[in-house]
Amino acid sequence: MNEPALNGMAQTEHDRKKPLLRPGNTNCGGCGMSIALQMLSRAIAGQPVQLVVPACCGAVAVGNYPFSSFGAPVVMSTFACSAAVAGGLARVAALNGEETRVICWAGDGGTYDIGMGALSAAAERNEDILYICYDNEIYGNTGGQRSSATPLGAATTSTPTGKPEVKKEILAIMAAHRIPYAASVSLAHPEDTLCKLRLALEMRGFRFLHILSPCPTGWKSEPSHGIQLIRLAVRSGLFPVLEIRDGRQMTINVEPDFSDLALAEYLAMQGRFRKSGVTAMVLRDAIRRHWETLRSAPTGD
Amino acid sequence: MGQSSPQSPISRIARDISPPSHISPAAVGEGPADRQAAAAVPAELEIRVHGRGGQGGVTCAKLIAALFAGQNRYVQTFGDYASERSGAPVRAYTRVSAKPVRNRNKVYRPDQLLILDDGLVNAELLDGLDPGGLVLLNSGCGLTGLDPLFAEYRVAVVDATAIARRHKIGTRSVVIVNTTMIGAYARFIGLKMVDVEQAYRDLGLEADLDAAQEAFRTVEIRETFCRKEHAEPVVMRQSGRVTPLTEQFVDLPMPLKTGSWRTQKVIYEERPAPCNVGCPAGNDVVGFIQALKNDGVEAAARILQQTQPLPSVCGRVCPAPCMSRCNRDGYDGAVNIRGLERWIGDHQQDLLLQPKQQGQRKSFAVVGSGPAGLSAAYTLALEGHWVTIYERDRELGGLLRSGIPGYRLPPEDLDRDIVRILLLGVEVQPGYTLDTFALERLLENHDGLLLATGLDCRRSAACPGEDLEGVEQGLDYLRRAKQGGNVRLEGHVLVIGGGNSAIDAARTALRNGARRVSLVYRRGREEMPAIAGEVEEALEEGVELQLFCQPRAYLGDGRVEAVELAEVDLGPVEADGRCRPIVSDRSSRIRCDHVLLCLGQSADLKLVPDHWQIRDGRFERAGDPLPVYACGDLSTGAGTVTHAIGDGRRTALRMLAGGPAAALSEIDPPSSPAVSAEEIRFDYFASRPPTADRHLAVERRLQECREVNQGLPDASEAERCLSCGHCTGCDTCLIYCPEGIICRDGARYAIDEEQCKGCGICAAECPRHALRAAALDGKGESCAAN
Amino acid sequence: MRSELISANHAAAHAATLAARANRKGRGFCSGVYPITPSTECMELLCAQEIEKGQVVRVEGEHSAMAVCIGSVAGGARSFTATSSNGLAYMAENVVAAALLRLPMVMMVANRTLGPPWNIWADHGDSLLLRDSGWLQFYCADNQEVLDTILFAYRLGEDARVMLPVMVCQDGFVLSHTMAQTLIPAQEQVDRFLPPLSVSHRLADQPHALGSVILPQQTEVLRRRHHQAMGEALNIYPELQREFAEIFGRELPGPLVGYRDEDAELLILSMGTLAGTVERSVDRLRERGVKVGSLRIRLLRPFPARLLREKLARARRVAVLDRDISPGFGGVLWGECRTCAGAETLVQNYMLGLGGGDVRPEHIEQLVDDLRGRESAGEPMIMEVGV
Repeated sequence: MNEPALNGMAQTEHDRKKPLLRPGNTNCGGCGMSIALQMLSRAIAGQPVQLVVPACCGAVAVGNYPFSSFGAPVVMSTFACSAAVAGGLARVAALNGEETRVICWAGDGGTYDIGMGALSAAAERNEDILYICYDNEIYGNTGGQRSSATPLGAATTSTPTGKPEVKKEILAIMAAHRIPYAASVSLAHPEDTLCKLRLALEMRGFRFLHILSPCPTGWKSEPSHGIQLIRLAVRSGLFPVLEIRDGRQMTINVEPDFSDLALAEYLAMQGRFRKSGVTAMVLRDAIRRHWETLRSAPTGD
Repeated sequence: MGQSSPQSPISRIARDISPPSHISPAAVGEGPADRQAAAAVPAELEIRVHGRGGQGGVTCAKLIAALFAGQNRYVQTFGDYASERSGAPVRAYTRVSAKPVRNRNKVYRPDQLLILDDGLVNAELLDGLDPGGLVLLNSGCGLTGLDPLFAEYRVAVVDATAIARRHKIGTRSVVIVNTTMIGAYARFIGLKMVDVEQAYRDLGLEADLDAAQEAFRTVEIRETFCRKEHAEPVVMRQSGRVTPLTEQFVDLPMPLKTGSWRTQKVIYEERPAPCNVGCPAGNDVVGFIQALKNDGVEAAARILQQTQPLPSVCGRVCPAPCMSRCNRDGYDGAVNIRGLERWIGDHQQDLLLQPKQQGQRKSFAVVGSGPAGLSAAYTLALEGHWVTIYERDRELGGLLRSGIPGYRLPPEDLDRDIVRILLLGVEVQPGYTLDTFALERLLENHDGLLLATGLDCRRSAACPGEDLEGVEQGLDYLRRAKQGGNVRLEGHVLVIGGGNSAIDAARTALRNGARRVSLVYRRGREEMPAIAGEVEEALEEGVELQLFCQPRAYLGDGRVEAVELAEVDLGPVEADGRCRPIVSDRSSRIRCDHVLLCLGQSADLKLVPDHWQIRDGRFERAGDPLPVYACGDLSTGAGTVTHAIGDGRRTALRMLAGGPAAALSEIDPPSSPAVSAEEIRFDYFASRPPTADRHLAVERRLQECREVNQGLPDASEAERCLSCGHCTGCDTCLIYCPEGIICRDGARYAIDEEQCKGCGICAAECPRHALRAAALDGKGESCAAN
Repeated sequence: MRSELISANHAAAHAATLAARANRKGRGFCSGVYPITPSTECMELLCAQEIEKGQVVRVEGEHSAMAVCIGSVAGGARSFTATSSNGLAYMAENVVAAALLRLPMVMMVANRTLGPPWNIWADHGDSLLLRDSGWLQFYCADNQEVLDTILFAYRLGEDARVMLPVMVCQDGFVLSHTMAQTLIPAQEQVDRFLPPLSVSHRLADQPHALGSVILPQQTEVLRRRHHQAMGEALNIYPELQREFAEIFGRELPGPLVGYRDEDAELLILSMGTLAGTVERSVDRLRERGVKVGSLRIRLLRPFPARLLREKLARARRVAVLDRDISPGFGGVLWGECRTCAGAETLVQNYMLGLGGGDVRPEHIEQLVDDLRGRESAGEPMIMEVGV
């Protein structure tokens, strides 16, 4: 490993004095969204940003008015329309010649489900915003119901015996809008995370990042296991880590080893798959097919 | 929220008992069947439960309601619903009444309080509870550890967390204690276990009954309380000014201290690396490799030389038990620690550690200058004392000089290490032969005496024909070779033994005219004590192995001509992990011209006066301990350079401490278990095979007398070190802390304990297990600390 | 100032454009728009304008249209949108959000019946659905009023004492698609009337959370302030009215518009274009000697209760005309107004012109006859006027 990781750029003076997510927030211990926000904070590194947060755990994380656990200007939007609100903010910033980057920070419910219309339209208009979906595969804010990001076999309070349908392929949907940049981000690969966040912040036009975000509460896993779970999801091929430019050029950023052991471990470490008994064997075929599709796409190299 | 939804078991229970409107509240208590319940259940009761998100506080209140529903009472139960997450303080409420419960506000004047987490205890928590009220507290501290805040109340304490954890309710870090608490609660208010069982069955919680039962049994109850005068009446608290939404308000710091949420604490704690634990010399292997990687060879040497007087020697001939324990071994190959030690020894020749300034310098004699003697002398000199080495030979080094061939340990490398020792001021008396008398004289002239004379007696197999010409001790042959004597051999040479000396003898014979060299060993190749790499090199050079056999007799007429070899079968595994050799009747005869015996050596104590007795490595005279110690092979018989070096140092320190054997624990304090491979996050380390030492081509080895192993090409192998259990400042913990509350603190890190939620990701993700998550009891501290 | 023969939809678009340009020295203008009959022409014209430091975002639905407006005003820009009927209903969540976030902006609602079954003609059911959304609500009676009220609405809503969004409603087709001579002020006049917008709590570059979690007590206080800001709007109305007249040289009607009501024993209350028809009928009835007058509620929120109470004090009989219905209750306006009449006054509710039914003077005369013949008020009545 490179030591220190990220070339020692983490925890600069700025990180400590002006973090994007401040200590004293009410997120659960071990929340993947919090980890992602810390990484975003490093990527932002003091640039002017404005955030739009629709209804999701992130909106609650902001805390009780008038305190704010977000160290940046943030507006809480209604559930379905963060991308549209962000579009308004971004255009006003542009009209005023400001370099402010507008970031949507939305969960999977606000992205895959109720917010899909506004998201799709904002992408089609190529609004100058960075849309980040931290995907914990569940409606966490309402206590853990299924979303269209919930994977096959995961038990939620609205699918108590496990979800019978497969997860929606969000990156393909977003790439189909031919936006300048769409990428999935692995929190278990901090260089990958930081690099994509920085790139996406720097680019103009509509940028979409999908972050698989461990949720100890919803996934029924140990809070300390979050990063390991993401690592296993990446290794097994369950969560492809890639980027797509202009909807055409795709680059795989982390090659999985498609380990069945990793996949089995991924499932075993989470209580949510226990009831349905979904196994590595069941998932393996779907993963293989998915990767065949991915491999047949034009590459970015 | 509320009196519960129609589908829930509670409402079913509540409805079932609803009709008794014709029964007056008094009648309920007076019926014969209800006498017990009447004693326990007042007509009106308000209960508040304090817990944390995830602990099950709302269900706890619901269970209380179910208990009372079973006692023919109307109930109402609900929780506070807010934005708090796992770990945040939450409240839940239960009302119990003989009449239907109508009011819908929260409970401000509870009769009873359940506290699911004693980390929540503060004065505000007890708000509204009148003196004499009931408090049930989940705490591991018992009644004796009770906060003075509870003086005015009737209190029961149960360690529900420990019980629930034992019964595996919840996850390791988030234990769900509600069902356990109710067992204790039932006992506290005078209900029976059967009442609990009924309620749990109604709610489908039978699985948790064992935990409830245990709590019922073990809860400690204190019925006595003292009454204090209350000056101030309870007033409605007024909130502060509400900031207008239309203001660009001043940015406010978050007031919430989430450190109180946690159930575990993370501690940066250095753990021993297996290489360090496995180094008989006691070298700080991780320390010198990391120093080599980060700060260069001098920094590495500075660490290494603390314990290692002979880096160039050990870097060549050490069997390197550290490497066989290296956590990288099972991943992509052990770090080439021996090669790195050699690199440091060979590339840092000028560094000389400064001896300590001793107020009272003492004078010590070290007898023997093998690795143990040199190490002891070096240690004593570094400690600031006068040391004189007495050596029988004209040159120092003992077996290092006489027994290890030059192609393996060039004399100049040995000399370099020895010179460094002498530069510390160690005096030498070479060519000094001691006898018993001289030894006693030596003791008179010194404050202490260290005997490091090694193993001087060559063993033999006591086979017939060992006295034939052409049968010789291998060590004598090697010694002659080093001293430039005639070591030419012809024909077929048989070497008997499987240790390093046997390999050395075989390879030396090959370099001195032998047409064919066979090594006879009674077990298999895996069991050979010789360093595997050396065996490999010997085979490359043409040495043949005759395994699973041992000599029965040497045959010949005055001169050896053949050996009769008995086949050996392997018997059961013995204590040392190897199979016991069982000599069979089967045998064969092999022609040979020379035999070199390398069967090991034993100690020779005839130098020591008869009236001295040795106990635990220290000599006594008539029961009185003398300042005389044995060390190295003489004491341990372990037979490796590294063991001898370690023992020399430890014995020297022990002698300085002057104590009994027990004092050894102070010299090398017992450490926690070494970091295992399972505890390493290999994902952080890309697979990269070890860098091998460079070797002379086989054909050149036999022609030239140069050192066969040319060592590492560079020091990059140090980058492969995982630094097991030793923080390298890699920032992984800091990067993954969801709260962003780990920060650099000098060379290491500090955690903001006020805000740490105790998720443990930092510990789980530490690539090298240099920090540890430990369970917290009660108020963030262990009970022992109170 | 120029006079053009334009529809009220276009009048609204002109007003929005003038207001947009007036903020070029501020943080500009940004608007999210989406078409729906009968408001569509307004957004079409707006989209055709060149606006210095301004953009119009053509979004995928009304919910997002309002979202863009919210984002724009949160960023400190002036904003505008237009919609109708189900579009407004679909937008509702964000309509409420804009008000609760105290983001001043103007929305033109071309009133249209909610469906299905589908009906594109005017009634007030759509905007009344959002009566309690926290917005100011104007109901206009002619083309000029639509233009003037939109300009006025910016000034009123953006006042630091108010800081609220304003809905300017006009009857679909009846106004939206009806051409009339309309005076369009010069930009310079509008610049004087509308100073650059300053959203005090906009997102800037310092940490600031807009719309985060509030607790019950904070909610109580913030709602009280919202309520008080509505009251402020009524208080400052006359002052701004004077300024409007000074700059534009014409009067802007007040919150409550009376017609021959001073000595009327019989008053007819209505909103929007209905009042125009009522006023014509008043003239005809007065000719017949009936002492009747008209009162038009121009500003429904904040509700001009004090003014109305004064006006109703002398009346013996009051007809409240609702172009809406709250099924199970009656007319919404009737519900609002009846408490302002004295105990002795007979207040009768007539719901008419629902679904765009064409209300003619005969219908008004008919209901006045009914009112005059009553001993006491009856149940709310639905008058069928449609063909």
